[in-house]
Amino acid sequence: MCLALPSRVVALLDDDQAKVDLGGVTKAISLALVEDVAVGDYVIVHVGYALTKVDPVEAEKTLALFAQMAAAGEPA
Amino acid sequence: MFSESGISIGLRIRDGAVAAVLIRSTRMVRAARLFAKRPHAEVLHLLPAVFSLCGTAQAMTGLAAMEKAAAITASPAQKAARALLVQAETVTEHGLTIARDWPTLAGGQPRLDHAKRIRGALAGLRSVLYPQGDWLSPGGGALTADCDRICAAIDQARQSITQLMGHDIGELVLPIAFQAWLERDPGHLPGLVRAKGWAGLGAAPFLPMPEMGPPDLAARMATDRDGQYLARPDCAGRVFETGALAHWAWHPLIRDLMDRHGTGLLPRLAARLVALAEGLHEMEELARDLRTEPACSLPGLSGEGLALTEAARGLLAHRVVLNDGKISQYQILAPTEWNFHPEGPLVRTLHGLPADPDLEWQARLLVNALDPCVACTITLE
Repeated sequence: MCLALPSRVVALLDDDQAKVDLGGVTKAISLALVEDVAVGDYVIVHVGYALTKVDPVEAEKTLALFAQMAAAGEPA
Repeated sequence: MFSESGISIGLRIRDGAVAAVLIRSTRMVRAARLFAKRPHAEVLHLLPAVFSLCGTAQAMTGLAAMEKAAAITASPAQKAARALLVQAETVTEHGLTIARDWPTLAGGQPRLDHAKRIRGALAGLRSVLYPQGDWLSPGGGALTADCDRICAAIDQARQSITQLMGHDIGELVLPIAFQAWLERDPGHLPGLVRAKGWAGLGAAPFLPMPEMGPPDLAARMATDRDGQYLARPDCAGRVFETGALAHWAWHPLIRDLMDRHGTGLLPRLAARLVALAEGLHEMEELARDLRTEPACSLPGLSGEGLALTEAARGLLAHRVVLNDGKISQYQILAPTEWNFHPEGPLVRTLHGLPADPDLEWQARLLVNALDPCVACTITLE
């Protein structure tokens, strides 16, 4: 399913792009579909675009659940 | 640790045509098992947080399954509010595809401003309907029928879509208007598909999902101990197609196009436009059925329930077993498992395509038309 993995914004780049971190892997994504994103915010990324900003507390909870899924043997 | 799940599609070429289509998925189809032993309210809170594109449809289907398990019936106004939120998600998703993906697939630049405006217009509906944030209360939360604000949001989305298409979306899905639009502007994706002679590309035998879901759905989900059915569903060996084409095959525009092009690419693209137009129309109708109501207060829930929702990508099913408010079993069957099944609609569509220089482009168009909810890679083997 289209899981909403929260990624942490680690740097803002030119042209409405940002570098995000997801579980230690960083990649460049587009911020063109969201507003007011700053370094340290969590965003939900889908096919290279940030779709929504997520509350940091909620993001940590979601990441903890995904960690349990991964530990239970489901590829996350 | 984590990575985006995805689907990879291998096209095996023999004798100048696609002889085999190999689909591999890393989608987490049994993830809902981890909801077991959690309180129902926690799971309802998790559903929209865990699913990125279809969070509203997932949450609403879960809520409906729990209400069925507990033999609760939500009021007509609550049902209207929930259907309105699901339609808003459907319109947003189709709008995003048409604004962002269609121009790229046609060789142009994505129209992200339009995508952003459509998303922005409908993003606040949940808090307008349920200002106390209790939209996921079994039986119904405290509903506010602020029809003026809701209708203004729908109207704003409609205007953004009209600007994107260069034509009123309601009129565009009339057969004569659609044909004129295609011929007038070959710059957009449907016009390009027509101009290239690809209207019937990928036409194959059509096995649309029945309106109420597969007849054996409840029994198959209840007996699916190893999760095999959730990963590769079928009905007596048949793998149905779900989504815009299957749902809107009766629509005059789609019937007209399918008479000429079967299940080819152009009818598939047009079905997305119909889903967009009809979604907006249905939202306007649903807004009239809203009533301001207080929240329900319920005791612990017990029982077994199955609920279906026609989500942006097709039929979504949730099955839950509840024991005094706690989850004993939770299963989700998503539309992508039907459409991207190794023996399903995408395979039927791609099989036999000629291996000409445009094959990879054509395959990308057909994959996008079937609309996977995860990233999808295509390789020629």
